[in-house]
Amino acid sequence: MSVWEIVELARHPDRPYSLDYIRRLAPDFIELHGDRLSADDPALAGGIGTWHGRTTMFLGHQKGRSLKERVARNWGMMHPEGYRKALRLADHAAKFGFPIVSLIDTPGAYPGAGAEERGIAAAIAHAIMEWFRVPVPIVAAVIGEGGSGGALGMGVADRVIMLENSIYSVASPEAAASIVWRDNSRKVEAAEQLQLTSREIVGMGVVEEVVPEPKGSASADYDAAARALDEALWRHMKPLLDQPSSELLQHRYDRFRYIDSLISAEPHFGPKID
Amino acid sequence: MAIIERHREEVAIQGAELPEILLPTNCPGCGIALEQEELRSHNYVCLNCAHHFRLGADVWIQLIADSGSWQERWTDVRSHDLLNWTVPKPYQETVERLLEDGLNEAVRTGTCTVANQPIWFATFDFGFVGGTLSIVAGERLARGMEQAASSRTPYVLVSASGGARMQEGVLALMQLAKVNAAVGRLHSSGAPFFSVLTDPTFGGTAASLALLGDINIAEPGAAIGFTGPRVIKQATYADLPPGFQSAEFQLAHGQVDMVVPRTELRPLLAHLLEMYP
Repeated sequence: MSVWEIVELARHPDRPYSLDYIRRLAPDFIELHGDRLSADDPALAGGIGTWHGRTTMFLGHQKGRSLKERVARNWGMMHPEGYRKALRLADHAAKFGFPIVSLIDTPGAYPGAGAEERGIAAAIAHAIMEWFRVPVPIVAAVIGEGGSGGALGMGVADRVIMLENSIYSVASPEAAASIVWRDNSRKVEAAEQLQLTSREIVGMGVVEEVVPEPKGSASADYDAAARALDEALWRHMKPLLDQPSSELLQHRYDRFRYIDSLISAEPHFGPKID
Repeated sequence: MAIIERHREEVAIQGAELPEILLPTNCPGCGIALEQEELRSHNYVCLNCAHHFRLGADVWIQLIADSGSWQERWTDVRSHDLLNWTVPKPYQETVERLLEDGLNEAVRTGTCTVANQPIWFATFDFGFVGGTLSIVAGERLARGMEQAASSRTPYVLVSASGGARMQEGVLALMQLAKVNAAVGRLHSSGAPFFSVLTDPTFGGTAASLALLGDINIAEPGAAIGFTGPRVIKQATYADLPPGFQSAEFQLAHGQVDMVVPRTELRPLLAHLLEMYP
């Protein structure tokens, strides 16, 4: 499969979205809304559900299925209010000792004037910093598109895993092409250069695991994809539940502080991992 | 601000000692013919229209640090071509050429004094791949912040950056988390963090450390934001009003505390360092 085919799978309109997974992981899921400042960002779904016998806080970018819902969900591109809502729900989880599961599936934060006017850069910056202080276990999974700072703003966790046909990138291929060549039609070349597939990302030591998808990709069998994701998320979450929070936060710090150590130790790293 | 007046005397503008920079023949702000010596003694701010010229790291270091106080750290940490990046040109060649030109990565850091008060200082260098946040840049920033946190030393940052470096892929993105983890420690330590945002500060740099200062200070006219105007127009077909994402716009939208001319910066920092002992 070519890199671009993987990008298309990751973005496929039939691919399961966060709420498809969350409702299978926790059938009693209750959605919670609002940043308690000014708005509710529908691009981020958040709420509580019972998962493996304990109340868990679920967060996830939500793209929307019908055109109407896509518009309402803004294609999963969060505004500043979304990051504030995420931190509000993280505080909620910390107060009650709920672990957090974060599902990442966004082209990026919303690249529009309104987001800029309301401080999208500072909202993401603040979120990234604050995740390091949330004293409950966090496991994140990239389930589709992990686009840029908009994804990382929801991606600081104790463990990060990726579904097989998902991507994680410093910028969307279109944005990277626009930045490097000033021509966003060179997205295919950009995707190849960026090394954004799950296999390449795990090879760099940036995520812990790649979760295999059912035959024909996650779109073909939502239940099987959800079972695979559930098993992997729980396997990573379980050992974190018994860790004292000081240890948890130190390990989270170290995980990101030395995330490039595999590369630093191997300066001639470069060939793609197969 | 009488106390700042006192610092203005004490902390003379170091313009005359600044390195020379490449200048256009006419000011891009007002079109007036430029005089290198005159501009230099005015910290590279146009005397006619107050246009602030972009400065490299070497100039910023001289501009902020007391003469002879600068001690640079971790200069030998180097970039590598991690992704076999070849188009439009090989990344390794780009980096090597810039190193030959005497630039040393997009962030330089070290210790110095400002009006005899010790600080940790870091400055982006826009001349090095657009001041982009790379593994090396992130490493220097995180190490400096950790040192400042453990010694409770004030931290001063000057930003000029296009964001994360495309050519280092997702590892460049991860620098936002690596650096912000360290910013969190710096804040927890109680050491003050003064962030100076210059033209331009965008993308991953704006979405990580640059806007997280205890006090955010922007230079007049500096463009500051997350998504650049070209990408916003491509994505949303929006017409952006004049002054969109300017320092003054960010002041009006609550993102920075003040817009301060470069000629006032050292006296201001000297005074702030006294106020946050």
